[in-house]
Amino acid sequence: MVEEKRKGIFGRLQRTPKWEKEEFTEIEYEPTSVKELLTEMKDISELIIDLAYSAVLFDNKEIAEEVQYLDVRMDKLNYDIRMMAMMAARTKEDAEQLAGILQVAEAAESISNTAGDIVKLLSRKETGPILPKILKQADEQLFRIKVSSSSKACKQKINDLRIESETGMRIIAIRRGDCWIYNPQSDTSIQANDWLIARGTDEGFKELSKFLQGEMEVLD
Amino acid sequence: MREKSVEDIVLEIKDKSELMVDLAYSSLIYDNNTIAEEVYDLEDLIDELYQNIQKQTLELVDDQKLEVRDALAILRLAELGETIADAAQEIADVVLRDVELHPILKMSIRESDQVFTRVQVDEKSILAGKTLGEIKLASETGMMVIAMRHGKRWLYGPNKNTKIDPGDILFAKGPEDGEKHLIDLASGKTKNL
Repeated sequence: MVEEKRKGIFGRLQRTPKWEKEEFTEIEYEPTSVKELLTEMKDISELIIDLAYSAVLFDNKEIAEEVQYLDVRMDKLNYDIRMMAMMAARTKEDAEQLAGILQVAEAAESISNTAGDIVKLLSRKETGPILPKILKQADEQLFRIKVSSSSKACKQKINDLRIESETGMRIIAIRRGDCWIYNPQSDTSIQANDWLIARGTDEGFKELSKFLQGEMEVLD
Repeated sequence: MREKSVEDIVLEIKDKSELMVDLAYSSLIYDNNTIAEEVYDLEDLIDELYQNIQKQTLELVDDQKLEVRDALAILRLAELGETIADAAQEIADVVLRDVELHPILKMSIRESDQVFTRVQVDEKSILAGKTLGEIKLASETGMMVIAMRHGKRWLYGPNKNTKIDPGDILFAKGPEDGEKHLIDLASGKTKNL
């Protein structure tokens, strides 16, 4: 059940926005394990920073909306983890250890709030095009690459292509038509004409582009 | 030496704050006080950078070399990087506290999408004696080295000129299949990249 829900968030083809609805539904407490909750919170806290900077770099509203959605989801996870922790405490020692878990959860939530604030820099008219210009100069950059229909990557699973371990490029999102897949999972497949947003070095980018444009048969 | 531009400083804040998050999570996995303390030191550095960037940005506006809206955008981005650094420090604080870590903390972070790993470089390893730039570890294995231990010395956020010596311990983050590759390279089992 929990596993299904996690998959529901990441690696799924979806349309944005849908976060407004999530924000206004009343928070219902659902029992889940603290471990599952914390793993998801940690994953979101890492992905959401990359997404937020990509939204600013590519001046993209849809990615910004996904960031807002994840930020709202993080609030709910933080609420659930507090409930679980309180119910698990039996002794003072329990409480001390659980306080540590809650502090990490709180920090992950604070990171996601910050990501939410980063994308707000997009909507402000008074902040001009200087931020994308600055972000382009970072060491580890965010890139957009289009998949050509002649590439061997088409219809292959990310896991089988071993993109990250061969090129160091971590795919954080895929755009397919007017839908998006955020944080693609190992069984997500790549299709012709997909746009990938990936994070990595210049070198990794060059290698991956050649492969995705069909100029290179295999990654190695 | 040329003074760092405000663009350089805001990028440094961004990079350092991301490194701090990585270091903070890995200090939890290894219950490692040294890494957690480094997160604290980096937080001091970021505070300093933040103060510098505020001053420099305002001076540029005063000299009419920077428009108000650009200055605002830069300062806001810097401030948000500083907030991320604070959050990383909160995570490191849990490690430094005198309470044993709850086993769930380690488990949940280890099970996430990206793994953290720690390897010692054997003298037979082809990594020994090379710089990170020469071996292109990140683009070959997907594993990014976030910290290194050289005897008693630590190095955080190494760059392409950083040399790996036999006996060094590398702390890296990346995909699961990259972890195995790195372990084999470091032990000398895999002989070529």
